[in-house]
Amino acid sequence: MIEGTFSLADHDGNHVTEASYRGRFMLVYFGFTHCRKVCPRSLARMTAALDALGALGRHVAPLYITVDPERDTVPVMKAFLAANFPRFTGLTGSREAIDSAKASFRVFTRKGPDPEDAEGYAVPHTAFAYLLGPDGKYLTHFTDTVDETEMADRLRSVLTDAGAAA
Amino acid sequence: MAAPGEFPRNEPFDVESLPMLDADQVGHLRRIENLSSLLPDDWSGMQGKSSLQEDFGGLRFQLAYMSYALALTHRHRLPAAPGLFRKTFQRLIEKMLSPDVWTYWHYVSTGNGPINSAQGELPAEWNPVVKDNIMYSAYLQSMALLYHYMFNDGRYAEPGALTMELKPLYWGAGGKKFVYDERSLNDHLYWMMVEKGYLGIACEPNCVFQICNQVPILGFRFHDMVYGGSLAKDTTDGYLRAWSDFGIANERGHFNMMVQEIERNLIPTEAPWIDFWLGSLMHAWNPGFVEEHYPAQIARWGEPGPDGTLWVNETPGIPSSLGFTSARDFGWAAVCASEVGDEESLSKMLGYADRFLHRTWSDGGLHYRRHDESFDGEGRFSAMDPHTGNALLGYARLNVPGGLEKLYAEPWHEGHFEEPALAGISDNADVLRARFERDAQSLVLTLSPRADRAGKVRLELENIGKRGPWTLDIDGAAVLSGDGASLDAPKGAVAAKCETGLLHIECAIDRPSNFVLTFH
Repeated sequence: MIEGTFSLADHDGNHVTEASYRGRFMLVYFGFTHCRKVCPRSLARMTAALDALGALGRHVAPLYITVDPERDTVPVMKAFLAANFPRFTGLTGSREAIDSAKASFRVFTRKGPDPEDAEGYAVPHTAFAYLLGPDGKYLTHFTDTVDETEMADRLRSVLTDAGAAA
Repeated sequence: MAAPGEFPRNEPFDVESLPMLDADQVGHLRRIENLSSLLPDDWSGMQGKSSLQEDFGGLRFQLAYMSYALALTHRHRLPAAPGLFRKTFQRLIEKMLSPDVWTYWHYVSTGNGPINSAQGELPAEWNPVVKDNIMYSAYLQSMALLYHYMFNDGRYAEPGALTMELKPLYWGAGGKKFVYDERSLNDHLYWMMVEKGYLGIACEPNCVFQICNQVPILGFRFHDMVYGGSLAKDTTDGYLRAWSDFGIANERGHFNMMVQEIERNLIPTEAPWIDFWLGSLMHAWNPGFVEEHYPAQIARWGEPGPDGTLWVNETPGIPSSLGFTSARDFGWAAVCASEVGDEESLSKMLGYADRFLHRTWSDGGLHYRRHDESFDGEGRFSAMDPHTGNALLGYARLNVPGGLEKLYAEPWHEGHFEEPALAGISDNADVLRARFERDAQSLVLTLSPRADRAGKVRLELENIGKRGPWTLDIDGAAVLSGDGASLDAPKGAVAAKCETGLLHIECAIDRPSNFVLTFH
């Protein structure tokens, strides 16, 4: 159901695909840097969950894929994440590449007007954190209602079952 | 073994005070069983005037709501009689897989109708679940998962258990085969729902109906009850957010029918079938909202009939614009009344149906015969369609207040599947009561011989062997006792044996009889 493929640029400008992260779990979240509410809350929650894993957390590559590539360029992604959520690697690309990644993860987005946004629009989106295994296969996802403790517990369980060591 | 009269009293309660199916309810169950038992692709009594299974009374709807009616009856009225329902339910699912039921999609998938022309004419699609068409896929999904949940039987989880196959003779080299099971189908629908931002999956292309998107939610809940997880809660949370853009109900308190997916345009239609069909289903997970709106809806759409009866007129436009009549506005009003617990309106509507809507007994089953004229010579509403006559009015009569809500919210109690129960019964008897009284440790069955079928009644009881010594009374007279798998000699004209984990009983009854098996 979830193919979990992408072909994008990371926030250092390197071309990456899902294969670039083979051997590590991937925690993938789609959003956009102008998001005022959902993304900051989710990114903070994922950061806290990964922090709670301690050394085990190094087996996880947290990835933040933009759904707003027109605004979220490589430098914008890098600056946003470095300032706010430094655990995450930002990924961006062309509109076509982003749409392909969204389809692969079955992500919903809908660009719509937002009078409170400087450019006048927002991109409401699926707020799932997808967990993919070291082989790149989809394992599970965490909805927006899963708190950091539960997320940490479930991540720890998956990682430990897979033989990951702290 | 004790002599007659020396048994401990087996009925520390009054059997007659326990609820019992009435003759009409039994008749509806028989009708469902009769239709389920027709030979494959014999749809006698189920065909309406419309063509291509396009309308809202098509075979898939009849099969689905008959299965829901079985589930509600089992859950609320005859919880200790899985054997009465299991095979009928299986047959309904089997019929859902017939090409007669789903090949309409080849045509409907091309879209380009009056309200879904934004994409122009689309390529015809044979696979009835791969995209859109939630009006079929979710019924199949929910029926399979409901079956699993109701009977603790995972047969539809087997690979390929839900395969839709078409074997043409003169075209389509090799035919069509679409292989699913309850989990793969459920996953497919869930991720489509995610992709749509939980607004819903379209029925016809570009047409996202609220009503039909209640059905996958039911399926997700049954999935969660079988497998764990929170797909249903995730979806209902998302659904409320998504529909806040349009409103589940309009400012006049009527439920909105559909949104054009591409244009994101709400179609402003008000009709009784929309209010009552959506209300009946949404009551499962959003009961307060439905109950808030129902009184004004029934007040608007309900019309007084003769002698204190109540009826609901059919919606102008569809389907009458297509040249056929329907009582589905009436039928859904009755179902919704049963679900929200408006027993007064329900009774009045059933009263109207019984007098004016072609109540018919056929092969022991009760239904309302198809009638294509909207009004009789005295100006009374008289239309009847197969969906209403076979499924909806039976559903309404068999449901209990909050029946779907409880089915959705309250799983079977722990230990249900280990309790003594009726695992099978011959087809010459009706089951009027079937419950396990936990406090008394008594399995209570009330069985009635069918006038149209002769022979001794044969029962199979399950979960009898691990609870210690027991005795069986028929109408207060001790006839059998045992302990585990060992039986004492039966009394009277009762034959019994323990085999393959079941207690088999054979006896003659000539009137409704209470069978009470009590553990001591």
